[in-house]
Formats: sequence, C-alpha cells, structure tokens
Amino acid sequence: MYKLLTANHIHELYRYRDLILRLAWSDFKLRYKSSALGFFWSLLEPLLMLVVLYVVFSNLMRVQVEHYQLFLLLGIILWNFIDRGTSMSIWGIVGKPSLVQKVYFPRDILVISTCITALMMTALEFVVFIIFMVIFRVLPEVTVAYFPILFILEFFIILGLSMALSALNVYFRDVQFIWRLIVQVGFFGTPILYPITIFPENIRWIVMLNPMAQIITMMRDCTLYGISPEPANLAYVAVCTLVLLLLGYSIFARLEPRFAEAI
Amino acid sequence: MASAVEVEHLWKTFQIPHEKRTTLFENLVGMMKPRQYETYTVLKDVSFEVEEGECVGIIGDNGSGKSTMLKIIANILRPTKGKVRVKGKMTPFLELGVGFQPDLTVRENIGVYATVMGLSRKDILEISDDVVKFAGLEKFEDTKLKNLSSGMQVRLAFSTAIQTEPDVLLVDEVLAVGDMEFQQKCFDVFNRYRKEGVTILFVSHDLGAVRRFCDRTLLLGGGERRAFEETGKVLDKYVYGRSECENSSDDSNIGQCGSNRWGNKKVIIIDVEFLDKFGIKCTRFSSMDPMTVRIHYHAVEDISDITFGIAIHSDDGHHLFGTNTKIKNIPLRVLPGDGRIDLKIDHIPMLSGKFLLSPAAQSSDYQITYHWIDKQYSFEVIPTSSDAGLIAMSCNWVT
Repeated sequence: MYKLLTANHIHELYRYRDLILRLAWSDFKLRYKSSALGFFWSLLEPLLMLVVLYVVFSNLMRVQVEHYQLFLLLGIILWNFIDRGTSMSIWGIVGKPSLVQKVYFPRDILVISTCITALMMTALEFVVFIIFMVIFRVLPEVTVAYFPILFILEFFIILGLSMALSALNVYFRDVQFIWRLIVQVGFFGTPILYPITIFPENIRWIVMLNPMAQIITMMRDCTLYGISPEPANLAYVAVCTLVLLLLGYSIFARLEPRFAEAI
Repeated sequence: MASAVEVEHLWKTFQIPHEKRTTLFENLVGMMKPRQYETYTVLKDVSFEVEEGECVGIIGDNGSGKSTMLKIIANILRPTKGKVRVKGKMTPFLELGVGFQPDLTVRENIGVYATVMGLSRKDILEISDDVVKFAGLEKFEDTKLKNLSSGMQVRLAFSTAIQTEPDVLLVDEVLAVGDMEFQQKCFDVFNRYRKEGVTILFVSHDLGAVRRFCDRTLLLGGGERRAFEETGKVLDKYVYGRSECENSSDDSNIGQCGSNRWGNKKVIIIDVEFLDKFGIKCTRFSSMDPMTVRIHYHAVEDISDITFGIAIHSDDGHHLFGTNTKIKNIPLRVLPGDGRIDLKIDHIPMLSGKFLLSPAAQSSDYQITYHWIDKQYSFEVIPTSSDAGLIAMSCNWVT
C-alpha cells in the first residue's frame, strides 16, 4: 500500500521542493500572462464584487458592522482562497495527463503546487486589503499575530479538500459540478456578507461548526477589531484541519495507484 | 556486477469495464446491477535482471506488454503482482517535452521541463545556456513556445532531456520521431550515456537500432518472457521463430481474393512457402539473409513444355523483380501428380518492408497460362542495420 503523510514522504516532498515551487510559479505566471492587464484582473474581480456587495448590503439590507468595507473584503478574500484553491485543484490531476502518464514523481505534488498557486493569487489580493486598511485608517493591533496561524490552517483545509477532490474527479467527473454547488451554498451559509450575530443565539453554534465560518470570524476579530481568538475555537479549527487533511490524504492514497490508467 | 533493475514475477492486469462510468451519477444508477469487467492480462509472470551499465532492449509485437513493462519500472503504473526494484536515479524518456507550456517562453520551459526531469535549480541555471545553444534557439530565448515550429520544440525538449544524469534510463520509442539527423543525434547521446555507465532499457520496434545498441534483449510475446539473452540470438528468434502462427493467418487472407488467380488449371499451384536459412518455413526474414521460395504444384496431365516463374512487388505495387525457368534456360516437364520447385535466393536484396510474391505456371511461349496467382503471398524483410531505404546493398566506405 502506498503510504502518504509519513515522515518519509514529507522528506521526499522536501526533496521535490524545486518542482513544487516551479510548477506553482509557472502556473501562476500562465494565469496572467495572456491578458493585457496581467494580474490586475485578479484584483479587479474581488474589488468589483466588494463594491456590489457593499452597496447592496450596507445600504439596502442595512447591515450594521464597524468597518463593513474591510469586514466584507476580508471575508471575500478568504472565501475566494478556498473557492479558487479547491476549484483549481479538482483539475490538478485530470488536467495534467502527461505529467501523470509519462513521468513519475509523487502525485500529491501536483495538488500541493496548485494550492500554492492559489496561495500566491490570494497573497496578491491581500496587497489590496492592506491598501484598503491604510485608506480607511484601520491599524491592526497585536492580535494580528494570529493572522498567519489562521491563514496556514486555512491553507491546510484547502489542501485536505483538494487531495480528496482531485483524486475523486479522476474517477467521477461530475465531482466538479457537485463541488461548485457546495461552494455556492457555502458562500451564503458562511458569515461572509454578514456577521454571525444575525443568527439567533441558540443556532449560532450550528453555523459555527463550519471551520471556515470559524476562521473568517476569528480572522476579522484579530485583524480588524483587536480581539484574540478563543483557544477552544482555535483548537476546534486545528482539529478540523487535521481531520480533513488526513481524510483527504487517505482518499488520495487509496485512489492514486490507478491514476495513470483511469485518467 | 550488481543489478540495476530487478523485475520479479511481474503481473499486470487491466480491468476494462463493459460500460465506462465516469460520473458519480452513473455510478449511483449503476449500483443496481453488478459491474462487469473484461480483465486483460498484459504481463504474465515476467522476471529479469539488468546489470549496471548494461543496455537492454525490449522487443515484441504490438500489445505484447513492452510499454506497460517500462511504465511499471518507471512507477507510473503499479504491478498487480510482483516486484520491481531500481537502484539509483531513474529517468524515463517516455515522451519528450513532458510538462511543456505553450504560453511560457523557451527559457521558462527549459526550467519547468528540467525540473520535471529531476534537475535542481542550481543545475538548471548552469545548463540553460547550453540547452538553448544545443537546440540552436539562441534567437528565440524569450519567444513563447507556441510560436516555435514543432521541430524546434522537439529539439528543445531533447536538448533539455539529455541534461539529466540518470543511473537508469528508460527509453520508449522516442527515436521513432524526428528526421534522420535527429535520430543520429539521439544515438550519439545514447552512446555517450553508455560510455558513462548508465543502465539503459530501450523499448523499440526498430530492430536495427536494438541490434546496434543493446547488449542483451528481452523478447516479450503475449505478455510472457519469450527470451532474454544476447541480442543477436533474440533477434533471430523473433524474426524466424514465429512462422507457424503467422502463416496460417496469412493464408486465410489469401484464399479470399479469388479474382487474383487465373489459368486453365492443368497445373495448379497449391502453395508457396518461404524458407529461411535453417530451412524452416517463415514469413519474416532479415535483410541480406538467404531465402528459398518453394512452389508446390499439382499437375493434372503430362505437360512437356512448362515454365515456372515468380514476380516480386513492393507493397505499394512496384514491380521489383521477375524471373522464370525459361529465362534461366531450364527446360521443364511435369508428370501428373504433385511436385515442387525451389527458387534459391542467396541474399535478400531488400532492406525492409513487406513484399508480395506472384507465382505462375505457363507454357514456354507464354501463350497458355496454366495457373497464375497474383500477389497473394507475402513476406517481410527486417533490417539488420540502420541503413535506410527499400533495397539492401553490401558496400563499404573506403577512406
């Protein structure tokens, strides 16, 4: 049986670090190369979305949140990250037949590098976010130290999901459509446009079972409002991340041996 | 010497479902009825060892499992049963330009491809200039790959691929693409690798190349190991050792085209056999080897004035050669009953290809045709060298 997520395999991934980064970087460049405005397109998309949602929610729906623009932008960027990371990774294996059928390296490299491409794109969006923070004169407090921790947790959630999705999509090509539906529902079911407080107290915990809801809420708290995350919540997200990662990897490891035949 | 590649009792079975279910929906709907598979065993209990620094050819008909074998050794496919061990760093040349991105520049593609082939970032910085120069693309360094001709792309891929320094090299028919000059370059590089002591496994249909390069050769047939020994012996076995099974299928094709035979049938040509240098019936011959064409006939009555002849055509219909007993001044007479006549050819003067033979029995003034079977028998010629063309010439360069 092909074992992944062992010390050995992680060491092997380290040996392949050049390949992971090279694939991620060339993919990143490709996405912007053919368009005249280059990576500004990628910034335009979340900004446009921000404007529309801001107008709708702050004026028509009258959501009352301090720094609503930044609140909204951070939510959109974080959600974009998981949306983009998983949607790109679904094609990570199926979309690169020659790298699977004509050459061998540990196949999770394809998925990891795709997730890193998504990470690079998100990093660009955070540049916009920082500019907005400066414009609106919101300076983060010390609690922003939690930001990288939460961001890394989100990355591994994405990686775990991507492992499962990319492997399943080799055998069941409609996984991509099902996943799009889930992402759509998730966008509205996660407190991105609204604060968690719009839900009545007694059902909030159900919404907060979603680790992404936890991450986005904690991210806003620590970046915009100077509130440290509850250790219990942080621990919950960490456990969720670990479970998703293990689950994703075990599905991947089970399906991986026949990739070259089934692709 | 230590072995670089060990293959032990290797089995590989593919499962081909009768109906392909590629979506979850089809799988859910299909859960009602049991799934039917066609299992197809490609490799059956194959074992062999390759020593360090050895060059081993893998030959066999299409579908004999050559490529599957190579892919299992490369770890791309996993064996159903059995083990494969490879010592040292392995590089597969199954396809040139794996991971090429048409929208990236030449230089960026060198980076991607070289990384895929296992070079480190430092190595890549060092080799990039050499690669560009070797591929003759100095002017196009920053051109997008898609704007290069396909020939340039192949050159670029090849120049990059050969920068790798493997211990074990797996080559699958890469040499089949490209012009003569390119093939020669490939051979030069493989010779260099051999001198450096790289172990090479070489899958090919080009028996000439196998003969030139490989110390030993593995012959696969129907997924089984048929032979694994010195290349010359294996090639002889491959070329000559398969007559019975092939002839029967050829014959069945022959019988069907009735319009291609005519004559008054006072003499009937029953069969034509091709015999190799060992006197064994077969249809494949090595270029420049001896061959005997044996014509079996049946005469209905006593004919005192008969000429037997043959004509040879290439498979695209060119008349290459014709001769008969009258041209050679051999008066013949046949008595009622069966008989045979042999035509001995000292050296087959063809280099490669399929050739058609038409036997005929006529009167010596050609006025009466007893029996003529037009282009109904065939044999194949396989090159023993890398010479090119249709005909073989024994020749020497003198300097």
